[in-house]
Amino acid sequence: MTSPAATVTQPTASKPNFVRSLGLGRFTLLIVLLLIVVVTAIGNPRFLSINNLLNILFQVSTLGIVAAGQTILLITAGLDLSVGAALSVAGLATALTVMSTGSLALGIGAGVASGIVIGAVNGMLIATNRATPFIITLGTMTLLQGIAILMSGGSPINGAGALFNVFGMGDFLRVPWPVYAMLLSIVAVFLVLRFTTLGRYAFAIGGNEEAARLSGIPVRRIKIALYALNGLFVGIAGVILTGILNSGLPSMGTGYELRAIAAVVIGGTPLIGGRGTVWGTLGGVLLLGLVSNSMNLLGVGANFQSAVLGLIITAAVLLQKKA
Amino acid sequence: MTMDPAASLAIKVQGVTKSFLGQRVLDDVDFEVARGEVHGLVGKNGAGKSTFMKILSGAQPPDSGEIVVGGKAFKALNPIEGRAAGIAIVYQNPELHLDLSVAANIFLGAEPRKGFGIIDDRAMESRATELLARLGLSLPVRTRLGELDIAERQQVAIAKAVREQAHVLLLDEPTAALNKAQADFLFRLIRDLAKQGMAIVYVSHHLDEVLSISDRITILRNGRKVAVVDGRSSDKDGLISMIVGRSLDAVEPQREARASGAPFLNLAGVSREGRLDDVSLSVNKGEIVGLTGLVGGGANALAAVIAGLDHRQVSGSMTLGGEAYAPRAVRESIGRGVLFIPEDMRGRGLVMSLSIAKNISLAALKSLASMGWLNLGKETSVATEMAERLDLNPRAPSREVRFLSGGNQRKALLGRAIFADGQLFVLEEPTQGVDVESQRQIHDHLRLLASKGATVIFVSTDLEELIALADRILVLRGGRIEQELSPDGLDPEHLLAAIQTQSTRSVN
Repeated sequence: MTSPAATVTQPTASKPNFVRSLGLGRFTLLIVLLLIVVVTAIGNPRFLSINNLLNILFQVSTLGIVAAGQTILLITAGLDLSVGAALSVAGLATALTVMSTGSLALGIGAGVASGIVIGAVNGMLIATNRATPFIITLGTMTLLQGIAILMSGGSPINGAGALFNVFGMGDFLRVPWPVYAMLLSIVAVFLVLRFTTLGRYAFAIGGNEEAARLSGIPVRRIKIALYALNGLFVGIAGVILTGILNSGLPSMGTGYELRAIAAVVIGGTPLIGGRGTVWGTLGGVLLLGLVSNSMNLLGVGANFQSAVLGLIITAAVLLQKKA
Repeated sequence: MTMDPAASLAIKVQGVTKSFLGQRVLDDVDFEVARGEVHGLVGKNGAGKSTFMKILSGAQPPDSGEIVVGGKAFKALNPIEGRAAGIAIVYQNPELHLDLSVAANIFLGAEPRKGFGIIDDRAMESRATELLARLGLSLPVRTRLGELDIAERQQVAIAKAVREQAHVLLLDEPTAALNKAQADFLFRLIRDLAKQGMAIVYVSHHLDEVLSISDRITILRNGRKVAVVDGRSSDKDGLISMIVGRSLDAVEPQREARASGAPFLNLAGVSREGRLDDVSLSVNKGEIVGLTGLVGGGANALAAVIAGLDHRQVSGSMTLGGEAYAPRAVRESIGRGVLFIPEDMRGRGLVMSLSIAKNISLAALKSLASMGWLNLGKETSVATEMAERLDLNPRAPSREVRFLSGGNQRKALLGRAIFADGQLFVLEEPTQGVDVESQRQIHDHLRLLASKGATVIFVSTDLEELIALADRILVLRGGRIEQELSPDGLDPEHLLAAIQTQSTRSVN
């Protein structure tokens, strides 16, 4: 028996990682944010005006609420791709209810409730099936998009004027109401993750699901609860966006899922779960908002914006400290 | 057999040394296998067998030493170089692709092509048929591998190795999941391959098998090569005494007689489809019971049933503290004070991304919470206390467990079970891969728990551990408790002989 030619090369050790050698560590995101602020401020002094900064916060508010919920799911090593479509359904439920009953409270209730129900259903499907959350929520995403189109009949649902007065126009101390809603959501998620058994179970399930099960944690029930909690935030975002747009649209949530997941990952929560912070997610959301805003102010053509945004997201993710 | 000149050596290993976390698991090991030789490799758990196999197959590099194979010397092999040099490894559960056909598995990565990169299925299947026939195997080449049983999958893996022109074949516990007929068939195949010039390294705990099939046998103990003996002229007792050795440094203190309390756990006629067969057992408060046996003998299966991990297809009845005990989920058994500590810490025990404190509190988090809100200050103080009690190093509760040594990780797991108010601790290999000092500490903690009235049931294949720790040793075989031994005056050789007693499978 002859052996095929065997080369005597040594296996290379781990490749030198240029990115890691920069040693920026956990402050990477902050540094990138500052860099964008400085460059844009030099290019256009209007950027740093209070009005513009509030405008940025206003523009990212609903994304921030959705991303706050998504953070919890990524920590469990899960994810929900259906949040955009669910947001549309929740928004339409709100608009339709207000239109038909005239009751703002019922409208808000319908929007929030539909978000929670959708989340709970996703959670049940994920907890009781072997298929990955990615595939399951890809399915429910498509289904919910179809439901949104059926609900709207293909055209905007108007008539939630009272909501518009609050979320589209209203502010408190010059800060628009949706910004408060975003900050409240972030703080709520922080509290849940740090101070409740539910939050701790999320980390344990994401870090080692089998160890969690062997520790007596009711993994399925906890997953359902967490997906429902995520649905709550999606429902709230749907109600607020309906107010901002002064109508419900079947396409109002399009693209939220990917931007929310991008914000969470930019914020340092790994897709493999087990760790992560909602403050990082806030940073990721602000990064996305700042980049869009600065491109507008610097006069980057609309045709370029998506490509530039993609580059920055990719760079930000690559710059993250390795877990 | 007489050693031929060096030219006939298929593989030669010189001075291989390997340490993990400062612990030396292989120490200056020399090893050689001639062409056409079946070479047995035996040793206790932790003797370094699996590490040595990993180094031979290229899965791990040695710290120092040299491997000469196919006329070339390597400081370290990677798996690709190992394969190129003609080394193939077949595990007890072969790493094959269940959704591909038998032929596709055999030719994976070297499929015959028609051109344009298209696989020539017909050529592949006819060559696979030819190859299998040459090996005396009758397997349907078009069948999906997933439809074959373990023995047949193993045959496919061996055929694949032959196709790759391997001239060194490593077999790791190949008969663990086989019945007697399947095992006999495998032995015939091994002998045929050896006749054709293949060098075979046969690793197994089944000493009868090793003795009957091996030309020579290398014995490892504590990472060192103890001896190489002739397989034909050796007997099991001689092998056992070399495997066990004379432990001059008996670090374990004498077992102290403990007042054994009232019966706590009772099993009556417990069976588990395919794993346990009519097991009856009574364990008292304050008692430490060791379960052992060969792989698949039933020790782990029994632990799983007691811990509530395995409840489907279980019949018979259990009582705990005098009340019926039929857990349907792990959390039910935890609720009854039964805490399970798995052997596989990383895969099943610890949450590596969480801190020491959060791992310790995990199974009893509710006791630190009111209305779902955690008392983090209390958690930190409880964890600090537990770390001190268990000599857990470092005593920084906020440190992530992944930075701890194996011994301290095991202590953290034990801490979790203690904090969850365990009354019955069910452990698998409680000190595997742990340094001597931590091993002694963990044993002391288990004794202390028992002296305070807790019950301990542990599965172990470590003979010294069984003798030092257990009040009673149960040897399981074929899913039954075959023998009950008192550790008093028991020496490791007798224990190993009891474990090795073959009633269900003997080798021709």
